[in-house]
Amino acid sequence: MQASDPVTGAQAGTALAGELVTFTRRHSRAYNRTQTSVGDAFADIYTSLVALGCAAAIAVSFVGGLRDEMTRDNAMAASLVAGSPLVLPAPLLWALLTYGGLAAILAVARRLGPIAVTGAQGAWWLPLPLDRRPMVLPTFRRRLLSVGLGATLGYVPFSIVTDLAADAADHALAAATFGAASVAVLGIAALLQLGLVAPRRGRAAALLALAPLALLPGMAPAGWPLAAAVLAGVVVLVPLLRRAGQVTGTELVRGGNVSGHAASAVFFLDTNELLRSMAGTPRPAAGSRARRFYARRTRGPFAGLVRADVTAFLRLQPLLAVPLLWLAACLAVVVSDAGLPAWLQLVFLLVAGCGVASGMGTVARRTALLPELDALLPLPRAAARASRLLMPALALAAWMTLLSGALALLGAGGPLLPAMGALAGIGMGAGCLRGATRPPADWTLPPVDTPMGPVPRAQLSSLLRGLDVTVLSLLPVGIALFVGQALPVLVMVQAAVSLAAVLVVLLSGTKSASGRQ
Amino acid sequence: MTDLGAVLEAGQLVVGYGGAPVCGEVTAEVRAGQVLGVVGVNGAGKSTVVQTIAGRQPAISGDARILGLPVDPDSVHFRREVAAVFDDDLFFPSLSITEHLLLVARGHSLAAPGERVAAELEFFGLSTRADAIPDALSSGQRRRLLLAAGFIRPSALLILDEPEQRLDPGMRDALAGRIAAYAEGGGAVLLVTHDPRLLVRTATSALVVKDDVELVSADEGAAFIAGL
Repeated sequence: MQASDPVTGAQAGTALAGELVTFTRRHSRAYNRTQTSVGDAFADIYTSLVALGCAAAIAVSFVGGLRDEMTRDNAMAASLVAGSPLVLPAPLLWALLTYGGLAAILAVARRLGPIAVTGAQGAWWLPLPLDRRPMVLPTFRRRLLSVGLGATLGYVPFSIVTDLAADAADHALAAATFGAASVAVLGIAALLQLGLVAPRRGRAAALLALAPLALLPGMAPAGWPLAAAVLAGVVVLVPLLRRAGQVTGTELVRGGNVSGHAASAVFFLDTNELLRSMAGTPRPAAGSRARRFYARRTRGPFAGLVRADVTAFLRLQPLLAVPLLWLAACLAVVVSDAGLPAWLQLVFLLVAGCGVASGMGTVARRTALLPELDALLPLPRAAARASRLLMPALALAAWMTLLSGALALLGAGGPLLPAMGALAGIGMGAGCLRGATRPPADWTLPPVDTPMGPVPRAQLSSLLRGLDVTVLSLLPVGIALFVGQALPVLVMVQAAVSLAAVLVVLLSGTKSASGRQ
Repeated sequence: MTDLGAVLEAGQLVVGYGGAPVCGEVTAEVRAGQVLGVVGVNGAGKSTVVQTIAGRQPAISGDARILGLPVDPDSVHFRREVAAVFDDDLFFPSLSITEHLLLVARGHSLAAPGERVAAELEFFGLSTRADAIPDALSSGQRRRLLLAAGFIRPSALLILDEPEQRLDPGMRDALAGRIAAYAEGGGAVLLVTHDPRLLVRTATSALVVKDDVELVSADEGAAFIAGL
C-alpha cells in the first residue's frame, strides 16, 4: 500500500466525511418524506405560524402597554421602593440585565455542547477514521443561525422598553448587535469545549469577555457597536470553525445527549424533565458532603428519612450562585431609576421567586423517578413528603428573608416584611415540592370546548401544578410590598396561606395508585 | 521499549469510576493473531476494563497502548486500527441496515463496498431484512448488525463486549468461526464473554477479572465461567 501525502490524505478524509454526512442526511430526508404527508406538513406549518403570530401579537400588545405606562408615570413614584438610599442608574441596570442574558446563553450553550452529535451520529460517525469537522459543523452552523436570529428577535421588546427615545432603526440596530454578541458567546462556549485551558479558568475568562459584549447593545445607535459585535463573532468563530473537529468524542456525545433530552422535554413542555436534563453531575467534592451527619444514629424511620433527605440536598443541590444572582437582580430592579412600574417590579420578583423555587427541587425531582424508594420505609406518604419538603422550605425561607430584609432596609414594606418573607418561603417550598413531583402532562386527553375555542384544560392544570402554590404563597408579601406596609393582618394572612400550602402539598395524593400507604 | 509484535499492551492498568477501582490491576498483552478472553462474574469489572481500553472512559492509573501508541479514541490512527462492538442500541432511525453498513464500508474506504456489505448481510443472516430500518428488527438482529459493522471494516484490534448476547446458538457458532478467522488473518481480539464454548473455540488465553486479575488458559477461563 502506498503512503499518501498527509495533506492530500487529510483533504480526502474531509471530503469523504462530507460525503458520508450528505449520504446520511439524504437518506434520512427521503425516509422522512415517505412518513409525512403533504397535509400533515401543511397543518404543522400552519399551526406553528398561527402560534407564532399569536405569541408575537401578545408580546407587541404587552410591550406597547408597558412603554405607554413608563412614558406616562413619574419614574420613582411608581417604584416599590420610594426614596431608596441606593439608586441604580437605568443604563447600568439594562447593561447588567443584558449581561445576565448573555451569561444565560453561555451557560445553556455549554450544557448543550454547543458542538454536539446525536447518539446515532456518535455511534456510527465518530469511530470512522475521518475528519470530524464535516460531521459536527452543519448542526453547529444551524445553532449559530438560530441563536443569532432568536436573540435578535428576543431583544427587540427589551430595547423598546429600555430606550423610550429611540426610533425603529435604533431598536433594529440594538437587536442586531445583541444577536451578533450572542453568536460570539456561542462561539466562546464552543471554544471552552476544546479544553485549551483549565475549565475553571476558561469559565472565568469567558464571563469576563461577556462584559464588553453586554455594553454594546446599549450603545448601538452609534453604529460601530454592531460592527464591534460582528468583529468579536468573527474573531471567535474563524479559528473555532477550523478546529471544531478537535472536540473530543466524549464531549460531543455528552452535548448531544443533553440536547436530545432537553429538546424532548421542551417538546412535551415538561419543565421537570428540562431541569433534569440541564442538571449535570454534581461535583465530586459534593458527593462526600455530610458523611458524618448521615452516619450518626437516628431514632425511628422518619428521622432516618429526614437525615437522608438533608444529606441528599447538600450533595445534589447546585451551587448558591443562581439564587444569589436572582436576589441581586431583584434588588437591582427595585432600586433602579428606570421608571419600571411597581406591578412590573412585582412580576419580576414573582418570576425570580418561581425560578428559585423550581431550582430547589433537585432532590424531589430525582426521587420522584423512583416512588418505590419512599415505600421502602414504614411511613405514611405525608411523612415522606414532609421530609422532602424540609430543606427546600428552609432554603427558600432563608432566600425570602434575605430578599425581604434587604427590601425593608431600602424602605419597602416596614419591619414586619422579613417575617412575611420567611413565611412565604415555607409556602414556596411546598410549591417547589408540588411542582417537582407533578406527573407529566397527559397529551392524549382531548381539549375541552369553551366559548373561546378548545382549551387543553387537563394539560394546563398539570403544567401549572406547583407554580400555583408558589404564586399563591407570594401573593400576600406582594400585596404588602404594593401597599408599602406589611400590616399585621397581612402577616397573619401570609401565615395562613403558607400553612394551607404546606397542608395541601403534604396531604395531596396520600393514596397511591395501589391504595398502599 | 514497545514490542512491535504487541497490538495491545496494558501495564498496571487500574479502572473504575470516580477514582474507585472496580477490580485489580490489569497487565496484559495481545499480539497479532491472538484472542484474549476476559471473564468474570457479573459486576467484576470486565466491561469497565474493555471500555477503558477502548478509550470510552479514562483509566484511574496505569497505561494502555494500541500498536505502541497511547489509547486515544479521538486520533484517526486509533479509529483506523480499533474496532469495538459494545451493546450500544443506537442507530439512525431512518437508515436501513444496508445503509448503515455502507456508511461504515465507505468511511473506511473499502473497495467494492456494496459487495462487502452484501457478504456481511449474508453471513449474519440479514439479507432478507436488508432494507429494513433498525426499529423493525428484533434485538438479536440489531446485535447482528452491530457485529457486521465491527467485522466489515479493517482493524488491527477487535474489541467485543459479550458478543454472544441475544444470538441464537447457530449464530454463536458462526461468530466463533468468524472471530477465529479474524485472528488467523492477523488481527488481535479482546473478547469479553460469559460463554465457555465461545471462549474455548476462539481464545488463546483468558484474563479472569476479580480483585486479583489473573491470566489463565482458555480452558481454565471456561471452567471459571462454568463455575467449576
